[in-house]
Amino acid sequence: MTNEPMTNEPMTKNENKVLACVDQSRFANYVADYAVWAANRMDAPLEFLHIIDRHPAIANSDDRSGAIGIDAQENLLTELADQDEARSKAVREQGRLFLNRLRERAVAAGVASPDVRQRYGELEETLVEQEAGVRLFVLGRRGESAETTQRDLGRNVGRVVRALSRPILTVTTDFTAPRRVMIAFDGGIVTRRGVEMVAASPLFRGLPIHLLMSGKESQDAAKQLEWAKTTLEATAFEVVASLIPGDAELVIAKTIQEQTIDMLIMGAYSHSPLRTLLFGSKTADLLRFTTLPTLLLR
Amino acid sequence: MKSLQQDWFSNVRNDLLAGLVVALALIPEAIAFSIIAGVDPKVGLYASFCIAIVIAFTGGRPGMISAATGAMALVMVTLVREHGLQYLLAATILTGVLQMLAGWLRLGALMRFVSRSVITGFVNALAILIFMAQLPELTGVSWIVYVMVAAGLAIIYLFPYLTKAVPSPLVAIVVLTVVAISMGLDIRTVGDMGQLPDSLPVFLLPQIPLNWETLLIIFPVSATLAVVGLLESMMTASIVDDLTDSSSDKNRECMGQGIANIASGFLGGMAGCAMIGQSVINVKSGGRGRLSTLAAGVFLLLLLLFIGDWVARIPMAALVAVMIMVSIGTFSWSSIRNLRKHPATSSMVMLATVTIVVITHDLAQGVLVGVLLSGIFFAHKVMQLLHVTWISEDEGRVRTYHVTGQVFYGSAERFINAFDFKEVIEKVRIDVSRAHFWDITAISALDKVVIKFRREGTEVEVIGLNEASTTMVYRFAIHDKPDAAEQLMSH
Repeated sequence: MTNEPMTNEPMTKNENKVLACVDQSRFANYVADYAVWAANRMDAPLEFLHIIDRHPAIANSDDRSGAIGIDAQENLLTELADQDEARSKAVREQGRLFLNRLRERAVAAGVASPDVRQRYGELEETLVEQEAGVRLFVLGRRGESAETTQRDLGRNVGRVVRALSRPILTVTTDFTAPRRVMIAFDGGIVTRRGVEMVAASPLFRGLPIHLLMSGKESQDAAKQLEWAKTTLEATAFEVVASLIPGDAELVIAKTIQEQTIDMLIMGAYSHSPLRTLLFGSKTADLLRFTTLPTLLLR
Repeated sequence: MKSLQQDWFSNVRNDLLAGLVVALALIPEAIAFSIIAGVDPKVGLYASFCIAIVIAFTGGRPGMISAATGAMALVMVTLVREHGLQYLLAATILTGVLQMLAGWLRLGALMRFVSRSVITGFVNALAILIFMAQLPELTGVSWIVYVMVAAGLAIIYLFPYLTKAVPSPLVAIVVLTVVAISMGLDIRTVGDMGQLPDSLPVFLLPQIPLNWETLLIIFPVSATLAVVGLLESMMTASIVDDLTDSSSDKNRECMGQGIANIASGFLGGMAGCAMIGQSVINVKSGGRGRLSTLAAGVFLLLLLLFIGDWVARIPMAALVAVMIMVSIGTFSWSSIRNLRKHPATSSMVMLATVTIVVITHDLAQGVLVGVLLSGIFFAHKVMQLLHVTWISEDEGRVRTYHVTGQVFYGSAERFINAFDFKEVIEKVRIDVSRAHFWDITAISALDKVVIKFRREGTEVEVIGLNEASTTMVYRFAIHDKPDAAEQLMSH
């Protein structure tokens, strides 16, 4: 990466990292814990990223006097610049302390030297910029605004997930070490690549995998599922494969309950935004529906 | 979607309140500028709320206030006096068309040629013009008017120490109106100045003959209006950019100003543009988004409809006080302190801009002179960046001239004068590889030097002309060749 500051650390440090995107909500701890888990399992460097979205369009003024005197413009500029400076400094310091707490939490959980960073910008934009050096994103499905709004799915998540092409682990609940993992397999290109990725990655090694295919029953589906099973078994995964006809959403929900699954892997947002607008998104529905940590494949 | 939300609804409460403050301040301004232009106050008031509302949607700089302005009013005085209101409305529409054209041609980029000094000069000239426009209300009137104006200014500047929750210009207007009515003072009121709006404006076509003569009458005025309007709008936009630490779309603003003026013309309003003073008031009051501009327009309309009768009874002295405040707030007082600190050429550009505007009452002419002067001064400075050194070689048979620096129309003469044509010598070598030839004048100056030497029987060799004349090629584009700048500076 060209915009990395030069440090004495080895250059590989910032490559293939687990990037935990945190904001100052209770979800930060959940994100941190899952990111620590992933980093430890993959033996990958971990970085906490706090994005400060500046809102120049928001004013805090109680001066409605409407009077402008000598050098009104210069004075106003100085005043506004001072306010912004004070606010920026406060936010920076607050963010630093908050990130430091997360760093300590990660160190306590056994990550060698987690890195922390704050950047100005907009979430989606920043993550796309950072993507080159990232192996896995971890982010909360809800964030700061969730404390005040009743939205089920953070308004950013859909947009951000669409913009990225690396796998994204989205979490909503307190950390529990995953013991049973389920792949929602649809035979499509995204999940097929996902199966290969899971087979090759150390992330889930040793965990039993439940391969679930739903929808219409067909010869082709069975063949696809068989392929996925063999691929996973080839790298010593313990695999249960099931082909359950029915509405995908309901079937997945039911199986999660029955099999006490605690992490879900699925393809995400494979359709165009327009189609999503018209027919809704299966991904968004599922994400809203389940509280499981979900690994989204792109 | 996101920017739409951010432009409109990220700052709702502040935007609405700031819009209200601005609307209150717009009333005196719109009336005062109508009087300057020589039309009924309703023309300026219709223009102000129409432009404010339209620009809220079409403008490129959220949070900037546009309405009927003094700069524009001054340009239309003669047209109104000689041809009447209908021609003004037609000229307003044509102004809008020209401004849209400018936006479409992306002429907003031309603002980069308007230097800081010219902008300061423009702002100062504007403030002086606003102040001068108040003089007719202050000459040949009774002492009561002076007392009223002084009292108005005192309220405007002292009331904020008491509370900043209420706009002090409004307090001044209300207090002076109440005093004037209750004491039965015999002084001029807004109602004396002409018709105020009594209804919503209606769409109407200007009643003018659509022919070549009409175009000849309105076109020069429209062109000037278009230029002045865009100049003030672009300047105000960059002021608001600075204040709010955000960016704006200048070409969209050009288009938006055009659309707003067209709408204004069809609704019986005069041409307008962005207002520096009002925009500063808006930002100061917390206005940031498009909603603040829209609110200013809507509140202005509501105020007129509900308290129109009272507006007629406001004494002119109160408006004069408000306008003096606007003029004080618009003037860049630090530029006076900086006159000595800044380079003399910058100060001259600023003063020249101010002087021309005050004499001609035309901001466009002032800016033109300012821009030309800045260009000439800049050329003059770059002229100094030319050095010619010489050395005798080959036992006095050859002289080599080394040319370093910029050769262009400004320095061509200096370049020629650097050579000694009287020297009796076999051969002259001119090394221009460390010089830049910027234009045809530079090349012909070199030709001249070569010919002069040849006439003396001296052989001439020019070295490095290819490198030196790369700057001549118009498409010597730095931006698509990363090493071009380095190349340019290295030889």
